[in-house]
Amino acid sequence: MSAQGLNVLLGGKPPEMEYVQFHKLSALVIDDISSMRHAIRAQLQSIGMNQVSVATNADEALEKIKTSNFDLILCDYNLNKVSSGQHFLEYLRTEKLLDATSIFVMLTAEAEYSFVANAVEFAPDDYLLKPCSENKLRSRLVRLIDRRAFLMPALLALNERKFEQVIAICDKLLTLSPDERRRMDVLKRKAEAQFVLGQYAEVLETYAQAAATRSDVPWVALGAARAHFELKKYAEVADRAAILIEKHPNYVAAYELLANARLEMDEEEAAYELLQRSSDILPSAKRFRSVAQSAYLLGKLEEAKSNAEAAIRLSNGSMVERSGDYLSLSQAQVDMGDHAAAIQTLEKNARKYGEEGIYGVAKCAILAQAYVASGDKERGSKLMARAVSLMGARKNSFVMTVMGKAALKVGDVALGLKLLTQSVQFSGKSEKRIARHVRKSMLDTGHQDKVEDVIDGGRKRILLLVEEATRLMRSAHFSEAHEKLLSALDIHSENLEALLSAAQLHLLWLKQGGLDAEVLARTKLYLSTLDRLLPSNQKVMNFYRYFNEIVGA
Amino acid sequence: MERVLSALVIHDIKNALALLEIDLEQLNHHADIPPEGRHAYHRCIELKNRLVSFLTLYKHEQSGLQPVAVEVSLAEFVEDLVGNSSSAMMSESHHGHPITVRAATERMSPEGGFAQFDENLLELALESAINNAVRYAHHTVEVWFEQSGDKVVFRVADDGVGVGLVDERMQRKTADTSASTGLGLALCKAVADAHGSGAVSLENVQGGGTLFSMTLCNAS
Repeated sequence: MSAQGLNVLLGGKPPEMEYVQFHKLSALVIDDISSMRHAIRAQLQSIGMNQVSVATNADEALEKIKTSNFDLILCDYNLNKVSSGQHFLEYLRTEKLLDATSIFVMLTAEAEYSFVANAVEFAPDDYLLKPCSENKLRSRLVRLIDRRAFLMPALLALNERKFEQVIAICDKLLTLSPDERRRMDVLKRKAEAQFVLGQYAEVLETYAQAAATRSDVPWVALGAARAHFELKKYAEVADRAAILIEKHPNYVAAYELLANARLEMDEEEAAYELLQRSSDILPSAKRFRSVAQSAYLLGKLEEAKSNAEAAIRLSNGSMVERSGDYLSLSQAQVDMGDHAAAIQTLEKNARKYGEEGIYGVAKCAILAQAYVASGDKERGSKLMARAVSLMGARKNSFVMTVMGKAALKVGDVALGLKLLTQSVQFSGKSEKRIARHVRKSMLDTGHQDKVEDVIDGGRKRILLLVEEATRLMRSAHFSEAHEKLLSALDIHSENLEALLSAAQLHLLWLKQGGLDAEVLARTKLYLSTLDRLLPSNQKVMNFYRYFNEIVGA
Repeated sequence: MERVLSALVIHDIKNALALLEIDLEQLNHHADIPPEGRHAYHRCIELKNRLVSFLTLYKHEQSGLQPVAVEVSLAEFVEDLVGNSSSAMMSESHHGHPITVRAATERMSPEGGFAQFDENLLELALESAINNAVRYAHHTVEVWFEQSGDKVVFRVADDGVGVGLVDERMQRKTADTSASTGLGLALCKAVADAHGSGAVSLENVQGGGTLFSMTLCNAS
């Protein structure tokens, strides 16, 4: 075999790679030290890049990234004391601000290198020790750009969120018998696209191919474990994540996945410890936030308070700050009996957030608790009423939990139980977490006897009402049947059993009782609600067909 | 407190030196740079390399190096090592004629072609081995790797005077040569140590020249 051939086989540099057209590429250099920033810019320009922008901090960089797409982003890890390059990258990726075609390189100094490398879910495309020579910078960039060029069609499809197309392109690229590294790159993108499409069994197949290509790659193991998580095989996730952690004790992403699996397995305490370890390894506002939430649910109020404070301290004034941290902190303070501190937190320290959106609702609800605890019941009730009016028709599970607890504390038991029941109904993916919150709120306020009824989201009561309605419908007592269903929908406005039954009832009503205008209008309303909640559902389609027959369309 | 302060100062100096190196590097792109400019650039690289080597060794002795093992393509690694080698670039200033430093692709025996190690530490160690080889080579220095099972051996061969004179040349107390040679070998041993079970050797090659070998075990 020729040296050239061997070289290509080894994944080495094929000759055409020297022809990277640097002058066509744009770059952004983010570093708070101006001499460093300018040195790197000079090197990039010397390599041939004409479009090099610089930013001194994350906020400045964010503005530039929002307005233009960069082929290359070189970001210092140690941006400033509040936000690291890693936080910034996590933010860009979670907010989907980064173009799939952008190459993100983290610049680090030796001291921090070991903390950063490959420990996180959102890893950069490469790490580079800074400062480095122009030659080294160029050869790294050439390799990165070459890898990107091979993937480019898939990356462009990813940008347009055409995931089916991404998979098709990846399959095509795989038939070109790429070298090992390119093959791994392609399999990674393919698995990501399959994941977004919810094809978890296929995701596992793709990761199996990747594992067969190269064993013991952390992101492959993590990706497979994550697919198992989506398939709700939590014990499997726990086994896999534990092995991963043993091999890579700094792999924060594995701790976080394992913590989520523990939560699903109702092991809040174990989850708490894992989250704590991940925030010890790589502290960030996001991680302190998770620890604070978990600590609160476990009744560890001191820890909830100190972690919420840490989250605020680390994110204050930066783009990763969240008003929710003040809610966590003040709720912990209220529960600890320190209502003065809670009032101080919300009315003074978090003043800048005002009463906007969901935050405003929760803020009023927590303040209501604090004032009631301080003996000012009147102010408490007023704040509670304010929370209810700010809430409007919103269906946010988290806020309903906070409000429910506040209502119980203020003494409005009926409202409290209703809100908590609804918060369970609309909890979606965070069902377990919300259930824990609700249970805790009810125990804290002495309503243990009604816990089971509330935790099931009023389901039993609804099913009983639907049953009664069905009986009445069969004996043609349509109005009475409708009354029952309205009561059921009052417990949960989007309960599918009740809605399906209501649609069925109305179709029968139209057929047997004639085309009454009011009944007709309600029929349409129920059908459209069902169509929204159950798009292209066979049963709903049949209802529509039947409806058209009756009205003679 | 004093220790923290000196650590800060020394890292500050290291960074300043690295930035100065970039300034000089950029200056050297100008066609009309006088020979003194090139010389200053090379001196700066040497100084920085020596300081970084010294700091790495110091850390090894004080608290131990903590390698960050990542998956590395061996062929790419050796190619970049050679392509970016400052010793190769500066070889002419030692000899008056350039020494060819090449990645000996034909001698590479890959088994998988990937290995796990701290590429920054390895680069530092092997660059000092290349630097050493360049000083004593007549014309050519070759760099390659051999991989079998869990083991990866990096080799640097020169066509110079041979190992019989190595000890003597290490004893020589002239200028900075012996200091940097001693530092270089100690650094290679430290980096090999840090990767678990590693070994470093320097031996004679039939027909002249020396062969430097650095073995990393459990690198798969």
